Amino acid sequence: MIRGLWTPDTVGWLLVAAGLPAAVALWFDQGVDGVLRLVLCLAVVAAWQILFRVNLGVAPAPASAITALAVAVVAPIEVQLWQIALAVSFGAVIGELIFGGWGRNFLSPGVVALAFLSLSMPNAAFVASGANVAWAVLPGALVMLLTGILPVSVLAAYGAALGLASMALGLEITLLAASGTLAFAAVFLVADPVAAAATPVGRWVQGALAGALTVLLMTGTSVPQAAVFAVLLAGLFAPLVDQGAIAAHLARRRARNGRA
Amino acid sequence: MTHHFRRGLDIVIGGAPAQSVMPGNAVENVAVFGGDHRDMRTEVLVAEGDGVARGDPVFRDRKRPEVVIVAPAAGRVETIEIGPKRRLSVLRIRREGAAARELTPPTVPTRDSIAELVQRCGLWPSLIVRPFGRIPTPGTAPNAIFVTAMETDPLAADARVVVAARRSYFQVGLRALRLLSDGPVFVCQGPGPALAETEGKFRIERFAGAHPAGLPGTHIDRLHPHERGGTVWQIHAQDVIALGSVMTEGVLPETRIVALGGPGLNNPRLVEAPEGASLDDLVRDELRGGQMRVISGSPLSGREASHLRRGHHQVSVLPRSQPRLPGRRWWPRHAAALRPAPVVPTLALGRALGPDLPVVPLIRALSVGDVETADRLGCRALLEEDLALATYAAGGSKDFGALLRQALDTLEEQP
Repeated sequence: MIRGLWTPDTVGWLLVAAGLPAAVALWFDQGVDGVLRLVLCLAVVAAWQILFRVNLGVAPAPASAITALAVAVVAPIEVQLWQIALAVSFGAVIGELIFGGWGRNFLSPGVVALAFLSLSMPNAAFVASGANVAWAVLPGALVMLLTGILPVSVLAAYGAALGLASMALGLEITLLAASGTLAFAAVFLVADPVAAAATPVGRWVQGALAGALTVLLMTGTSVPQAAVFAVLLAGLFAPLVDQGAIAAHLARRRARNGRA
Repeated sequence: MTHHFRRGLDIVIGGAPAQSVMPGNAVENVAVFGGDHRDMRTEVLVAEGDGVARGDPVFRDRKRPEVVIVAPAAGRVETIEIGPKRRLSVLRIRREGAAARELTPPTVPTRDSIAELVQRCGLWPSLIVRPFGRIPTPGTAPNAIFVTAMETDPLAADARVVVAARRSYFQVGLRALRLLSDGPVFVCQGPGPALAETEGKFRIERFAGAHPAGLPGTHIDRLHPHERGGTVWQIHAQDVIALGSVMTEGVLPETRIVALGGPGLNNPRLVEAPEGASLDDLVRDELRGGQMRVISGSPLSGREASHLRRGHHQVSVLPRSQPRLPGRRWWPRHAAALRPAPVVPTLALGRALGPDLPVVPLIRALSVGDVETADRLGCRALLEEDLALATYAAGGSKDFGALLRQALDTLEEQP
C-alpha cells in the first residue's frame, strides 16, 4: 500500500544530481568547449529519447543523461562533433533504448558509446582527466553509497583490483595521473546499478574483473580506453557471472537443505 | 533457539499503537468476503434476513463441503452480494445479541476428531498451505506447522501482548494443532520469554531482526526450506487462540485483538473487535482531520477496505496523498509511458526478502513473467505477503505480490 522512495525515476534523478559536479569539473578542465560538447551530447540523447517515446512508447529516463556526461568527460578532445553525436546515438540506441529504456539494458550505454568511439577512431588520443574530476565525483558517490543506490561491493572490488594489479605491474603512477577518469568510470560506469551484476557474489567478481582488466589493458593503450574496454568486457561477463553465482547459491541451499 | 535475521528494513511510520488493549468503538457491522478465499467455490448457506449465531456456517466450498466459513458475530444477514462466476462477493451481518453456536470438543482428541472440529468451527481456512498458499485439503497432514506468534510489520500489535491476554487458550490450541501435523509444530516468536510451554512436538523458535523477520515465509525458509519438499501449514497465533477457546469453551472467541495504528489516528492502540469488523465502526470519531485512507492489514501488505479482511489483525490509517491531475505536468505524463517501470536494484531491494533467495534475479524473472526461472530461483518458497516489502523498496511501481501469484497459479496447474 505504501510506496518507498526509490522508484526508478528517483534513482535516475539522483544519478543525474551526482553527475552534476563532474559536469562542473569538465568546465574547469576543458573550458567552454567541454560544456558545449556536453550540451551536444545531452541534445542527442534527448532527441533519441523523444523519438523512442513517440514511436515506441519507451519511457524517457533521467538517468540517460549519464550517457551524455560519460562521453563528454571521457572522449578525446580532438574528435569532431559529428563523430561524438554518432557515438552518443549508438550508445543511447543500441546500449539502452532498443531494450526498452533505462533499467532494462544490460550494459551501461555510456560504455557502449565510448567503446564505439574508441573503435571507430583508433587514432584519436584519449586523454585521462585528473584530480579535478575525481574530487567532483566523490560527493555524489558518497550520497549514492549512503542511500544504497551504488552497489558497494562492485566499487570496493574494482578499487581493490585496480590497486593490487597496478602494484603487481608497477603502474601506480599512471593510475594516479588518471584518477579522474578512473573515479568517474568506477562510479558511473562500473557500478551502474542497472548494468552491474545482480547477485552479491557476482558483484564482487564483476568489480574485480573490471579492475584487473583495466590495469592489464593499460599496458597496451591509454588509461581511458583501457577503462572503457575493461568495463565493457566485465559488463558482458556480468550475466554469466550472475548465472554462476546463482547456481552456486542454489547448490549450496540444496546441499544444506536437501530432501529429508 | 534464536535466529538472527540480518537483512530486512526498518520502516518507520508515525502513529505506532500503544501496546495495551484498551476500549474501542462498538462494532455494529461485520462482513465476510468471498474474495479472501479465492480457492473456494462458494456455496452460500444463509439467506438475506436470516438470523445467525456466532460460529454458524454462512458459506462453504462446493467441492469440499467440510470447509466452511462461519459468521464472525451474531446478528442478521443484511446483504449477500454474488460476484462473477456465481462466487460470493460479500456477506454483511448487522450485529444483534450474542448467541453463539456451541460445539462439543472431542473427549479423546485424535487427528480426525480435531480436524473435524477445526473444520466445523470455521478455523480450517485460517490454515494456509505452502507452497501456493491455499486452504489445506481435508484429510491431508503437513510435514510441519508454523505458528506465527510475532509481528514485525509496521504498526502491528505486539504478539506478546496478544498471547499474554489469552495464554491458556494458546497453549490448548497448540496442543490440538500438534495432532494435525506429521512433524513438528514450530512456535515462532520474538526474543524474550517463551510464549508457550514446550511439550512433545512443539518447538519454540525465536527470531530477531527487522521486518520481514516476523513473516512466516522467513521462518519457514530457516526451519523447513522448500527444497525439503512436502507441505507446511502456517497459522496465526490469534487463530490458535480461537482454536483453544473452541477446545475449552466450545465457542469461538467473540473478539480478536486488533491494532489501530497510523499517523491518521488520534489514539493509536490495541482494541478488541470481532473478525471482519467494519472499519468505519472501528475508526469512527478517531480520525485526525484531512483525507485519510483506512487500510485493513499492514501498511505494506494490506489493502484499502470497508471491513477487516480475513487474516488481518491490524488497521492502518494513513494520509491520502493528493492524486496528480493528469495532463497538468509534462514530465510525469511522459515518464509513465506504455510499459510498467523497470526494476532498478538498490540496496533496499536486496535486503527486502525474508527467505535467502537471489532477490534481484527472482524479481526480474517475475516482472517479465518468466515462470520457469522464477521457479528455479525458488518462488515456491514465497507468498504474496513475502514480497510486500520488495514492492515497497522498489518504489511500488509494480506489485510483485500479484506477479508472484500469477507465477504460482501457473506452476500449480502444471503437473
